[in-house]
Amino acid sequence: MPSYEYVKCTDLKQAFDLLTGREQAYPLAGGTDLMVGMRGGKFDARLLVDLKDLEELKVLREDEKGITIGAAVTLNAIAAYEPILKNIPILAQGAHSVGSYSIRNRGTLAGNICNASPAADTAAPLYCLGASIVIAGTVGQRTVPVEEFFTGPGKTDLKKGELVHSVLVPKPYPQGNGIYIKASRTGSVDLATVGVAVQRWGDKVKIAVGAVAPTPVRALAVEEAVNEKGEKDWARAAKLVHDSISPITDLRGSRDYRYHIAEVLIRRGLEQTMGV
Amino acid sequence: MKMVQKMKISFTVNGDKETREVTVGQTLLKFIRNELHLTGTKEGCEIGECGACMVLLDGKPVNSCLVLAVELDGKELVTIEGLSKNGELDRVQKAFVEHSAFQCGFCTPGMIISAKALLDRNPNPTDEDINEALSGNLCRCGAYQEIREAVKASVKK
Repeated sequence: MPSYEYVKCTDLKQAFDLLTGREQAYPLAGGTDLMVGMRGGKFDARLLVDLKDLEELKVLREDEKGITIGAAVTLNAIAAYEPILKNIPILAQGAHSVGSYSIRNRGTLAGNICNASPAADTAAPLYCLGASIVIAGTVGQRTVPVEEFFTGPGKTDLKKGELVHSVLVPKPYPQGNGIYIKASRTGSVDLATVGVAVQRWGDKVKIAVGAVAPTPVRALAVEEAVNEKGEKDWARAAKLVHDSISPITDLRGSRDYRYHIAEVLIRRGLEQTMGV
Repeated sequence: MKMVQKMKISFTVNGDKETREVTVGQTLLKFIRNELHLTGTKEGCEIGECGACMVLLDGKPVNSCLVLAVELDGKELVTIEGLSKNGELDRVQKAFVEHSAFQCGFCTPGMIISAKALLDRNPNPTDEDINEALSGNLCRCGAYQEIREAVKASVKK
């Protein structure tokens, strides 16, 4: 067994110092991706910087700005948080789709997006909600829109030594239903073959798709057809998703299957949020 | 600032207070089996998919293969060995026996831990709640039907 070092952080500054000062230093929150990645050789971690007991990262609150979700908040806590269930249930659905109940007792939303899988179940709902990622580093905080946070498979906008501090879902909340629909090989403990989030905003709609491109993407052509051109034939609108995605073939599904299922799930999502 | 490859941790396991030195990098699963010698917790996939290593950490079910032993510091651990009291099986364990809710038995400790946690947080679960609670536990013999019946039978009337 390689030798590891471990530090349970007592403040954020300590975390930044360790993460910038040491090679092979990795932040640890829920650990559900990190531990698997370390075992599989994806992460060559030697120093584990445990953030999960930092009070400021455990924040889950609603205020005049919206809902703030600290980086150490677990997915189960998010899926059960009343203001989320009431105002933005699509995010609860996304959080609830990750792994299994026991995984969600450890795994965090911040970890889900920092792992930056194109299939991350919480990403597509966050795209539809216009969420912001609050990033903390030695020189202070900065905020990026979630759509700029993902830069490629496993890649994010985070610079060395920076951490996701929290995720803000801003007010005003959407007026209307939202739904996250996940196609996967098994009912749980599987990544999305395709994941589709459709969120109604009054008479408009926002749509995001996961696992069909290097990052989660908005289905902008579909949105334009529905929002600007008044398309009411959801099947015809959904076909336009082909313009926004570039899926690959992997063990979860072929490229062609992903094109097809993305279209089907968007049609269903439009039916359920915008009416038949 | 302490950076350590070995660390002393204090915790409660199945009701008993313990202090041990653990190696950083060791999983909670290995620690439970190899250091605490509680081998009811099983090692299956080691990547959080099968649920054979399920334990209760501060009352919540977690995959012990995805937790570091050092993270046990200050926490309360319950393994399958901790469920029986004074030589008597817990009602979930009894129900599993009565319903033959296993074949080979390898998944059983994890299944029972997940079921126990469900009943602790939700004394009257629906079928959907049961499926959800056991979603991270695989049974390769395929005893799911009997397992679900056993969990239903453990609900206090």
